[in-house]
Amino acid sequence: MNYRKNKFLKESFFNLYVSKLFRLNWLIVFCIFLLCLIGVASLYSAAGGQWNPWAKSHLYRSLIGISVMLFIALLPPNFYNKLSFYCFILGLLSLLFVKFFGHGSVQRWISIGGFNFQPSEPIKLALILVLAKYFNNISKVDLQKNSTFLLPIIFTLLPGIIVVTQPDLGTGVTIILLGIAILFYIGIPLKIVFLSFILVISCVPIIWNQLYEYQKNRILVFLNPESDSLGSGYQIIQSKIAIGSGGLFGKGYLLGSQSRLNYLPEKHTDFVFTLISEEMGFLGSIVLIFIFCFLITLIMRISFIVDTVFAKIVVFGVGFLIFLYVALNIGMVCGLLPVVGAPLPLISHGGTSLFTILIGVGLVLSMNIHNKRI
Amino acid sequence: MKSKNKKLLDQMISRRFMFLFLIKGIAIGAISWRLFDLQLIENQKYEKLSDGNQFDYLIIPPERGRILDRKMRLLAGNMDGFSLVLKWNKKINTDIILKNILSVISINEKDIRHFNLQIKKMENNYPKEILITKNLSQKDVSRLAVRRINFPEIFFSISKNRIYPQGNIVSHIIGYTGIFSKTDVENGNVISVPGLDIGKRGLEKYFDSQLRGVFGRKRNEVTSKGYIIDSHIYEDTIPGKDLEVSLDMRLQDFAFQRLKQGNFNLVSVDEKSIKKQLTNKKNNKYLEKKYVYTNKQNKIVDPESGSIIVMDIENGEILCSVSTPSFNPNIFSNGLDLEEWNKLRNNKKSPLLNRSMSGLYPPGSTIKMAVALAGLEAGIIDYKTNHFCSGKKEFGNNDFHCWAKNGHGNVSLMQAIEQSCDVFFYEIGLKIGIDRISEMLKKLGFGQYLNIEINDKAKGVVPNLDWKFKRDGTKWQLGETLNASIGQGFILSTPLQLVTMVSRIVNGKFLVEPSLIIQKTNRKFDKLNINHNHIKFIKQCMEQVVVGEKGTARNYKIGLKNNEMAGKTGTVQVIRISELERETGLLKNKERPWKKRDHALFVGYAPVKKPKYAICVVVEHGGSGSSIAAPIARDVFKILLNI
Repeated sequence: MNYRKNKFLKESFFNLYVSKLFRLNWLIVFCIFLLCLIGVASLYSAAGGQWNPWAKSHLYRSLIGISVMLFIALLPPNFYNKLSFYCFILGLLSLLFVKFFGHGSVQRWISIGGFNFQPSEPIKLALILVLAKYFNNISKVDLQKNSTFLLPIIFTLLPGIIVVTQPDLGTGVTIILLGIAILFYIGIPLKIVFLSFILVISCVPIIWNQLYEYQKNRILVFLNPESDSLGSGYQIIQSKIAIGSGGLFGKGYLLGSQSRLNYLPEKHTDFVFTLISEEMGFLGSIVLIFIFCFLITLIMRISFIVDTVFAKIVVFGVGFLIFLYVALNIGMVCGLLPVVGAPLPLISHGGTSLFTILIGVGLVLSMNIHNKRI
Repeated sequence: MKSKNKKLLDQMISRRFMFLFLIKGIAIGAISWRLFDLQLIENQKYEKLSDGNQFDYLIIPPERGRILDRKMRLLAGNMDGFSLVLKWNKKINTDIILKNILSVISINEKDIRHFNLQIKKMENNYPKEILITKNLSQKDVSRLAVRRINFPEIFFSISKNRIYPQGNIVSHIIGYTGIFSKTDVENGNVISVPGLDIGKRGLEKYFDSQLRGVFGRKRNEVTSKGYIIDSHIYEDTIPGKDLEVSLDMRLQDFAFQRLKQGNFNLVSVDEKSIKKQLTNKKNNKYLEKKYVYTNKQNKIVDPESGSIIVMDIENGEILCSVSTPSFNPNIFSNGLDLEEWNKLRNNKKSPLLNRSMSGLYPPGSTIKMAVALAGLEAGIIDYKTNHFCSGKKEFGNNDFHCWAKNGHGNVSLMQAIEQSCDVFFYEIGLKIGIDRISEMLKKLGFGQYLNIEINDKAKGVVPNLDWKFKRDGTKWQLGETLNASIGQGFILSTPLQLVTMVSRIVNGKFLVEPSLIIQKTNRKFDKLNINHNHIKFIKQCMEQVVVGEKGTARNYKIGLKNNEMAGKTGTVQVIRISELERETGLLKNKERPWKKRDHALFVGYAPVKKPKYAICVVVEHGGSGSSIAAPIARDVFKILLNI
């Protein structure tokens, strides 16, 4: 708080922020920027070589999102530490709000001032933050106690279950997996891990009964997509055809027949990877996956550098979140996982997930900048 | 303490981190392997599937090959026709569109029925092009084209319609095409392509695959909703090959007219006496005609029915193959009316029958050369064999009559052929035996499907002991040998077999096979293996039929010394004449009902000095071979030899 008394307040303030910008991990920013551009290019192709309806808005959103990310990076971690609990509560409330007042048969959206967004996306960040704050204040001794983990598990399951019943299986599972990963990371006793694993397995029949018909269908179709080639299995079959027909070098940019002729469902959102695979081939897909891995590794590396538990968990959480998105999405479109609805971060058209990732990366950058050891 | 704690925590965190890192690595590895598997290992499978999604292949029928005669005159060709095609999709109301179209042009009922059937099948299907009609006149096209704005769903396509410019003159040989049937598809003859015509009869059927050519393919790019966004030719069609037929249309045309006329007169309907007859209800069918045939009593008669075949004795080419009555093959190419079809089928004179190759007739006296050859070859008779003809031969309980009531007196072999003495052949037939006769007949082409390029042909019958036993389970009667040796009784043959017989005898060296295709290279035939002197003698006998003083065809010489024709007449009884009838006096041929009159036959060859062509004329129920068949043969030879 010294600089406030400084007579060169303004100058110092400016210097402070500029120096922070210099300490930014520009490699991460570059990766983010690159991925956003790939997203714009893919969406341009998805619309048949047109800026509307997706590429243009994605470009704007990316630019705004990256600015927001940089802004967030400049704010100190303490600020987020304080904010985290309120964010989580707000997130839970908005989830409940969509649950009861959301529109459409699938209640996912909330609209504020003309903008629609899915609260199930930012809740992931709120979860990361609240878990980070919680474990930040827990001593090593308390970490050995099982009771310590009761609250975090509740923190994880509460939004997870609400989202699953929205119903949005994919996002719900992502939230729960994210929470579990963080708990595991911070050192939850392996006993509890095994116990809950057994619990989950035994709960499968109950959960199965709770699922909606279309969710059951998706899982059944995943097990045997050819059983319903024109119905639920259509998506995954067409998606596999698109990927498979791409070959090594792909059909060429803007030349993917599956997407151009509308055989690909949801080619601008969840199935955008299919389009890239078809047009850019195996090489393109691997390069894209490599960029994602590189980004995740960069983020994960920061989790070693930062010294507070809060920062460690936030950085790890965001890194793992991106991994989850990528793995679920690509696993889904190439038929390794059931079609559960997970966007490809930074590339799929959709503001909420884009902003969630960008804000998350903003948090990571903030942790990096404000780390004392640097 | 605190730092130690922190260190422990860090250690554990990095352990856990590594574990999670491993999981992540496995996940990314799995995904990469999956992509590798899909995109590189199974690439071809998915490429095929993708192509299947992207493209819709349409088969384009090639242009059918033409059929030409030996002087390149067109026998079957293609004419541009316009088809009306509807771009069908689920949203359009076909009933209203059809109604609107019908308010502008007329479409025949059959096409509409067919169209509606197709529409019914289309329920819940993707958009498609549906043929409405193939027979659109130029007028219809322009009428619809002007109102094009009102019919955005339709378009025109040019199709090929088969035409037969020669009409009914060669219809039996050329045949016709028609829309393929279900059985054609099941037999694997064709692939199911809408609007494809395939050969149904005659040469069109026999050479169908050669004439048809190779199908091309059009590739349409289709969206997932089935809309066609691009279309181009993917594989070109290869048009069918032209077929050069050995027929000579000039000769064919002449023979056709000549056979129809027979010994009748061709009279214009404008003549008074004819007009009078035409008012009679019975003569309804002549109303549309400009000329009619009249007999000697000046009464309107049907044209003669029968067959003429002319064959090259060297290479077997058929120069002319006429069968009357005939039909117009053009009525088939645009979808045949059921009514017209039934009319053709129920016609008592069966115009659809190709008499030249499927018509079966007892050959009568025309096989006497063969019988004589059988005897000569076996050494049972020689050139000097004599028999006395008293007009009949008593055998068992029956009398076997000669056509000459009072007999020919003492006749030699040559005289017997010249005058067609039946008793002489009864005598030698008995000596030779049915088995030797049938063996010779088979050698000369009877009782078998000759190797000609027509699918529908008859085999005929050459009787012998085994045949009789197999058919009836009874023993061969010697009396039947008598009948067989003058070509009556069980024996049946087609005009094609008769002309082949003559060709083989006159050729003398090879077993000539008939063919309808121009022979560009010398054909190789099997050896005939008959004594050359015997052949020479038989040829002399056949010459005598025309040249000889008592020859049955002496009145019908061509008139040139060195270019005479030779041959053999035949008059075939269709009914058995009972003893009672003979005693009460035979009804003259002309007084009998048409169906019971004799068939008139003539087989022959010309020119005598250097034989080139063989002929067979059959006039169904025409009377005697010498009075009607021989003059026809002479006139055909006159045209053929340019005299």
